This record gives sequence, C-alpha cells and structure tokens, in this order.
Amino acid sequence: MINTILDQAKASIAAAESLKELDDLRVKFLGKKGELTALLKGLGKLSKEERPKMGEAINQAKVNLQNLLTDRKNHLETLELEKRLLKEKIDVSLPGRNVEMGGLHPVTITLNRIQSLFAKNGFEVEVGPEIEDDFHNFTALNIPEHHPARAMHDTFYFDESTVLRTHTSPVQIRTMENKKPPLRIIAPGRVYRCDSDITHTPMFHQVEGLIVDKDANFAQLKGLLIDFLRAYFEKEDLQVRFRPSYFPFTEPSAEADIECVICGGEGCRVCKKTGWLEVLGCGVVHPNVLNSVDVDAEEFTGLAFGMGVERLAMLRYGVNDLRLFFENDIRFLKQFK
Amino acid sequence: MNVLSSWLREWANPKVGDNELADSLTMAGLEVDGIESVAPAFSKVVVGQVVSCEKHPDADKLNLCQVDVGEGDSLQIICGASNIRADLKVIVATVGAKLPGGLKIKKAKLRGVESFGMICSDSELGMSESSDGITELDDDAPIGQSIREHLDLDDNIIELDITPNRGDCFSVLGVAREVCANYNLSLEMPTFEVASTINETINASVSNTQACPKYLTRVVKGIDNTVETPQWMAKKLTRSGQALHSPVVDITNFVLLELGQPMHAFDLSKISGNISVRMANDGEKIELLNEQTIALKADTLVIADDANALAIAGVMGGMGSSTQTNTTDILLESAFFEPVSIAGKARNYGLHTESSLRFERGVDFNMTHTAMQRATQLVIEICGGQAGDISECIDDSALPALSPITITKAKIQKILGFELEADWIEEKFTSLDFEISSKDHESWTIIPPSFRFDIRIPADLIEELARLYGYDKLPVQKLSLDANINAISESVIDKYDIAQGLVNRGYQEVITYSFVSEQYQDLIDPSAKKITLSNPISADMSTMRSSLWAGLLQTVESNQRRGHTNARFFEIGLCFEGIKAEEQSQKIAGVITGNRFDDQWSNETQALDFYDIKSDVESLLSLTTNTFTFKAAEHPTLQKGQTAQILLNDNAVGWVGTLAPHAQKQLSLSKCYLFELDLASIQQGSVAKYHAFSAYQKAARDIALVIDENIPANDLITSIRSLNQTYLVDVNLFDVYAGENIESGKKSVALNLSYQSVEETLSDDQVNAQVSEVLALMQTKFSATQR
Repeated sequence: MINTILDQAKASIAAAESLKELDDLRVKFLGKKGELTALLKGLGKLSKEERPKMGEAINQAKVNLQNLLTDRKNHLETLELEKRLLKEKIDVSLPGRNVEMGGLHPVTITLNRIQSLFAKNGFEVEVGPEIEDDFHNFTALNIPEHHPARAMHDTFYFDESTVLRTHTSPVQIRTMENKKPPLRIIAPGRVYRCDSDITHTPMFHQVEGLIVDKDANFAQLKGLLIDFLRAYFEKEDLQVRFRPSYFPFTEPSAEADIECVICGGEGCRVCKKTGWLEVLGCGVVHPNVLNSVDVDAEEFTGLAFGMGVERLAMLRYGVNDLRLFFENDIRFLKQFK
Repeated sequence: MNVLSSWLREWANPKVGDNELADSLTMAGLEVDGIESVAPAFSKVVVGQVVSCEKHPDADKLNLCQVDVGEGDSLQIICGASNIRADLKVIVATVGAKLPGGLKIKKAKLRGVESFGMICSDSELGMSESSDGITELDDDAPIGQSIREHLDLDDNIIELDITPNRGDCFSVLGVAREVCANYNLSLEMPTFEVASTINETINASVSNTQACPKYLTRVVKGIDNTVETPQWMAKKLTRSGQALHSPVVDITNFVLLELGQPMHAFDLSKISGNISVRMANDGEKIELLNEQTIALKADTLVIADDANALAIAGVMGGMGSSTQTNTTDILLESAFFEPVSIAGKARNYGLHTESSLRFERGVDFNMTHTAMQRATQLVIEICGGQAGDISECIDDSALPALSPITITKAKIQKILGFELEADWIEEKFTSLDFEISSKDHESWTIIPPSFRFDIRIPADLIEELARLYGYDKLPVQKLSLDANINAISESVIDKYDIAQGLVNRGYQEVITYSFVSEQYQDLIDPSAKKITLSNPISADMSTMRSSLWAGLLQTVESNQRRGHTNARFFEIGLCFEGIKAEEQSQKIAGVITGNRFDDQWSNETQALDFYDIKSDVESLLSLTTNTFTFKAAEHPTLQKGQTAQILLNDNAVGWVGTLAPHAQKQLSLSKCYLFELDLASIQQGSVAKYHAFSAYQKAARDIALVIDENIPANDLITSIRSLNQTYLVDVNLFDVYAGENIESGKKSVALNLSYQSVEETLSDDQVNAQVSEVLALMQTKFSATQR
C-alpha cells in the first residue's frame, strides 16, 4: 500500500512542471488530509506488533517524499530563475549613461607637474600681481631705466611706471620683501610681451624659481635643474648643457639646453639642426637684486631660474603651434588627459 | 651680428673648422644662431671665356658659343641669355657639375646641336634670389679657375646673438678677442698711423662732456668719392649684411664692423663755421639720412655747426651735411658717447642704427684714436686726398672709471662650489686683457679693459672664469634638503582641487587672454573702471578684464562656430579692478550652453537650464562648510528674473544666472548660463571637527504650504532654521507646485522636516509641538496656509 502511494507520488512529482503543481502534490500526499497522513491515522487499527513497523515505514516514506518534493522544487526554481535572467538580459556593450568628464588646460597640467616636482624638493608656491610697477618688474631686478634689456622685453604699459609684468621675476622681489631667507620658492603665472606672431603670443606662462641660502652655489643650481629636467621629461639620461648667457638680475647667468626631445639630438627643424633645445634661463642672483630688498649679499647667495611653460608643454606633448594654447578649440583641449 | 669667417680668421685663426669654432663661441656665451655658407655647395664650375658667339641655326633665342675653360679645345655650349657675347668672362658649369637644387650638368642636344655645359647666373649658383642674364666676371678672371676659389665662396657667415652686456663683441675685433681667449691665442693689434700732410682742422667744442667725453675730428681734402669701393671691402661688407653706398660711407661702415667704433663722415663744404657737440634745442628740426625729418627733444645730444644740428650724436647723421659722390672734402668723426646719454634716444625717435646699438651698450673709449687712423688710412688708400691733424676734445674726468675689483679665491669657491687653481685664474684674466694690479695667494685685484662695460663687481669676474672654464665642466651638486616639513594649511582648499571638482562635472578648463576689447568689457561690466593699455597689440586686446566672462563667451562663440554646441567651460585667473596689487584678484567662472548631454541612447535630449549651473556652483560652495546664500538680484549681463547674487556672510562674492537676451543676441550666441565667484571666497574653509551623531530614531513630518508665488522658497527654509528648534536636524524642500487646485497667484511648497534627539527617541507630542511652532511661524510671516 505504502509503496503504491510512493510510486504514484514519485511519478507525479517528476512530472510536475510548476511550483503550484508541486504544492498541490504536497497537499495530496503529505497534507492533513493527504494519503500518507491517512495511512498514519489508520495505524490504530493495526496490531501492537505491526504498529511500530508500519509507523516507521510510513515516516520513512514521508521523509522520502519530502526530499523528492524539495529536489523538484529546487530544480523548478532554478529553471524559473534562468528564464527570468534570459528575459532581463541587456546589451552590456551600450555606453553608460552620459556624464562626460571635462579636462584641465595643458598649461595647467604642465604647471601642476612642475609645481609638484619642485614641491618634492621643498619649494613653496608664491604668486604676485600681473599689473606690476616699474620697480618690481625692472628696477629692483637690476634693470635701470634705459637699460638695453628693457627694450628687449617688449613691455605693455599702462602709464610710465605701470606695466603688465614681462616675467615672473618680480615675484622674487615681492617674496624677499616679505619673507626672510633661507627661501625656496617657485612662482608660476601669466606674463605679457607686446609681441604676436607664429612663435609669440602676447600672453604666456612662466615658472620662476628662487633659492636664497647661506651655502647656495652654482653647482647646486646645475644639479637641481638637471634633476628637474630629467624628471619632467621622464628620461634619466637626458642630456642637459649649460651655456653662459646674460640676464641683468643674475651673475653668473646661464641658459640650459636639453638634447632635442623631438629628434633625440640628431638635428631637426625644431632644434634648428643643432640637436639642442633651449629650455630655461638661470643664474646666481645679482648682488644688486639682493641689496634692493635688504638681503645681505655677502651672507646669502641667491639662485634663480625661469622657464617658459608653453615651451615645456609643447616639447612634452608634441604641440607644434604656440597659438593653439589660447585658441581654446575644444578639439585641442580634449587631447590632454 | 654677422661675422664673416674669413674676416674673423684674419684676426684670430684657431686650427679648427667653422662648426667647431661656432660651438666654442656658443659655449663661451656668444650664442651662434646659425652658420650660413656664402654660397651653397656646387662643383665643377669654372671661369670660362666666350671665344665665339653665333646664332643657333634652328632657334632665334639661342646662341651657339665656343667657350675656353682652359682645358684643350674650347667647349661648345648653347646659351639663351641676352647678355652673352664674345670675349666675355663667364661662369661655366662643365659636364658632370652638380648645381644647388640638384641640377646635374650632362651633355645635351638642343634643337639638334650638342651642348657641353651651361653658362650660369648668380641665381643658378644659389648666390642670389634672381638674376638678370648670366653673370659677367671681371676681365682679369683667370680662365679655368674654380669659381669657388675665384669668388672666395668657401666662406661662412657666423650669425651671433650678442647679449646686451657684450657690446664689445659687435665687431670682428671683439669676436676675435673672444676666440683668442678661448683658444689661448694672442691677438696682434695692427697700427694704422697716417701722418698729416695738410694743415687743416676744424674748430670743435663739446658743451656736455659728461655725455661726450671724447670727440675727435679730422679733415681730409681732395678725395675722389666716385671711385668704386674695392672688391675685398665690398665683399666683406655685403657678406656681413651691410649694403654698399659710396666709398667714404663704406669705409666708415667697414671700421664700425672691424673695430666696433661707429664713425661718421661729414661733407666739409656743407659745414658752416665751427662744430659744437651740444644738447638739442627743444623742437629743433633735422632731416636725417633716412630722409625722415624729426623734431628733436632737449634731452638729445647733437653734433651741430654754427647754423644747424648736423647729426644726432651716436644715432644717425643728417641729410644736409652728408657726403655725396661729388664730395671732395670730408670731416671724419670718431667719438665716445657715454652709454646712458645715448640709451633709449634712438628708440624715442623710432630709430635703431648700428651706431646707437653699439654706443648704448658701450664702445671702447681707447679705440677712438685708432679708429680715426684706420678710417683715414682707408680713405687715402681708396679715394686719395690729404689728411690734416686729428683734433681732440677730451675730458678725462668724464671717461668711465676703470675701478679695480678685488676677488678672493674663497668667494670664487663659494659661488661656483669648487676651487680653481690660482695659476689658471691668472692666465685667464690675462687672456681677457684684464690687468692684474695686485695679488697675493688668496686674492687678486684686477682692472678691466676699456672695452668691457660689463665688468664691475666680483660676480662679473666669477662669470668670466666660469665661462672660460666651461659651464658644462663646472661641477654638479645636490641641493641639500631642508629638514623642515613645509606647513600645508588644511583649511585652505587648493586651487587644483577646485578645478578638478568642475572637471569631474564635465567642465573643460580654458585659458583666455587677460585683455579684451573695450566693447566686450563694456558689455560685461559697464560700470567697471577702464584699465587700458597704452600700447595694445590691437583694439581687441586693449582693456584689462574685470570678469572672466568675456573670454569664456568668446570661447563658446568660437567653438559653436565649429559645431560644438554643447559645452561647459571654466577659467581661473586674475581680474582687474585697478592697477594696484590689491585690486587684482583671482576669480573662477564658468559657462554652460546647449543640452545637458550629447544625444545618447539612454537620455532624452534636455536643454540645460539655470538649475544645472546652480548645482555646479553649489558643488563648489560645498567644498567648505561656509554658508552661502543666493539672492535674486540684477546684473547687466544676466537675464532679469534669472539672476542670483551669491553672498557669504552678507558679502557679495559672485553671480550666477542666464545670459541676458540682449547680450546673447549681440554676441550671436545660443542660450548660455554663467557663474563667477571670487576664488578666495570658496578657498577658506576650516579643519573638520567631529560631532557625535544620534543613536535614536529620526522623526519626519511633511508639510505642504500654500504661499504667494513671489515668495522665494528658500525664505521659508531660512525662517524655519532661524527658529533654532532643539530637535530640528534637516529641512528639505521636495516639491513646488502651482496650477490646478491652487489659487491663482499662489504656489504650494512641500517641506520635509526631520527631528531627532541625541538623548532619546522623540515622542509624537514632542515632534508635533515643534511642527506646530513652524506652522505658526509660516502663517504669521508668509500668510501660509496648510494645504
């Protein structure tokens, strides 16, 4: 009798195609009025000897049935889930919902890079005004009135003694007016020259650097700038050479060239076939400059350097036209990330 | 400054090629910009003589020539030039010759007649841009000689970029001195003595000897200025970039290039009375050699006769007293004008001359006499004539003082970071013509030579030693690192982080010019003080910006023209309210235009609106915990009713709004939204301070209030907060509605109030009491009714 029910139940469970059907089967066999329950209820009619044996058989059948139901239920649920997943399938290749990132201007990217490299060496950032007075832009920097160097600067004037700063060097002066040495600063910012052609824009960016210390010397200046240029261009063996030059505010003065990063020093149009590219000017701060801000030139030595940011950006990113930086064409700007 | 290699080598001739010589000059501080050959490379081109010249049998315009090139039989060459004729000495490119531009000369047949070479013009040899016919050589040109040899074409022009401190290097002599110092050569200074043969001088006086400490003149009579300047001189001048004039002028130019002393020659017959070197009378007129007539200023030194100003001292001669081809008697001038008195004068009159260039930087005041002798010698050699005595006006006390400079070995070491040998130091000083006036083992006192105006202090001497040692060979040291860790304030928000915040919200940074057109500035900020450049590049860049909006709107416009209609741009930069340092402050501004997103499968196309840019601004304002408020206001560039002023503690710090329709139209833009903030206002925050948060449940209540539609919704929130309710932790505005079921002229505002205590879970009664207080306030203050 039990076996007949069990066989019948097994067949029914295996054939069940839905959870509802399965539940009906559970009720049919195991429910309060179910067939196995009915058998249990009939135990009382059996003899004392038969009762335990039969009871155990029925319970065993219940356990078996319950297991079959659970297995079948799991199976049916898995099938259901897979069906649903199939239905919910999406095209993961479609682009994500649109929020486009903007970007920083390549000059800002370059400035940030220069600043962080110098920050590692303990340099602080200083800034100054862009409309400058004659004293800070020229006189304090050992460029007296009528000095030929003034003519070289192509200065924008507001009135006789007010100019758009022609370099970031006035920040040297402003810093030394307000802070006592030792000093180690860089001054990034916009500068202006009254010049506009293929290779000049009337506004561009410089980074000025200044070290004032008791033991500062030219050898350290060389070491610092070689390290910086190699780090900036990420080339450990980048060739750097120093040439004598002239700036009214430094003595000795030097210009630094790097091996042409376009042709690797072979000679090309960018380096005018010389294999070298001029990238910065530097020198030992002229005693007149220190004196103009009451720093004792006997006690302290100043080291200064200045570089054109657009120039470094052009060499780093292969930009061949300076004017692109200020046309703000989104097709240009988007390339720098 | 262009120096011809062969000329330089007459003075200093190191045994190295021109490229190596140029490199050594560059590394010594005379930067070589380039080396140009006087003629490009070519070969197998020789001097020939046309033996016979007949018409080509089958071509009218061609000639059949027999040309002697000094090798056996003459060559048959076809030539089309109109100036070809028998007996002419010509340039012949023979078969096998390679010409500039890659042309190879081969045996050829022209209209059936064979031709064995080509007769050339200057342009075919790359020596000039264009030529009119073939080149005609001198009659004495040796037949068969290589043209390169005949015309001295294996020569280079070395282009030097001379720094302003090295006025002494604006001459062959000056560069030669540098070469000698570099290569340890000694320079032989020739003597040019010309004794006087006539007793003729002119009376000259100097009234301002500070400006003109030395003034030398010399009369030369009976010259022939119609002769041709000799080839050797003409070649040196033209190849150095100096155009030819008449022999006398060419000679003064030659001395200037050779010795660095600017000279002038007056036509003696045009001088009336005596010469005086004096300051100009204000407004005094002079017609200059460049045919320009100018009114002189009183700060200008002039050379004058009894009647007129004849020349601007050290700058340019006058037309009236200039030499002409028929000039027979001249007055030569060789002077030392003090640099500061000449500096800037030429520029003031818009002039820039070879003479002013040198005097401004400093001319050797011990060269005045030598140069006069040199010029006299050349005049007599080339033009004939007889010279009088040199008359001199000299004020020794006004000459630059050659002050001794003392340098110690210790100082050299301190600045350069290493020790130089004493012997080496002395050798180098001597090679530079520095006189060592005294010395011991540790220091030297030197007197600089009269041509070095840049040697004044010990640092100048250190530079000389360093550059002769070679900057590249100087040692390299590490900068010792400070032991201090630099303070970084945590309460100041870095500019970079602010920029990055906008980048993350889709903004592209731009950098625009700090000067804009006056019209643009007027449109953006009509009430701002105009700060205009006195010498702008153009009217478009004449006025300093008081706002970043001009540049941003220009950027939108130019990108829109290129089809980029959706854009978000920002800029950080100085804006100007005046010329004082404190009137220049950093601002940050942005503009957005077009649709919220580019068209995409997942988004509906939605035009940007005010609340998009406001949310960007709010993101910037939330970098600190400072409380900013937005107040409805009016701005000349922004649309009325869609403009808010941004306040921080009642101080106006910025604007946000929609570009006003009139501005939009005037600038041909599509709809734009703008913001601008004082950068400092969003940078100053505070260091975070932790507050315990409540462990008890939050109670929330929604209220809907009907109020007049003109009441800013934010006023409700501000008022509720001003109650300072004990348990109120948040007020959130979640709906604004007007329309059906709401009385016209009114709107419904729905607020969510959150209450929480840090000590207990609030009872309904506690919460309700606080809500009632809010409702009462809303009723009295805004006549709000509950919906």
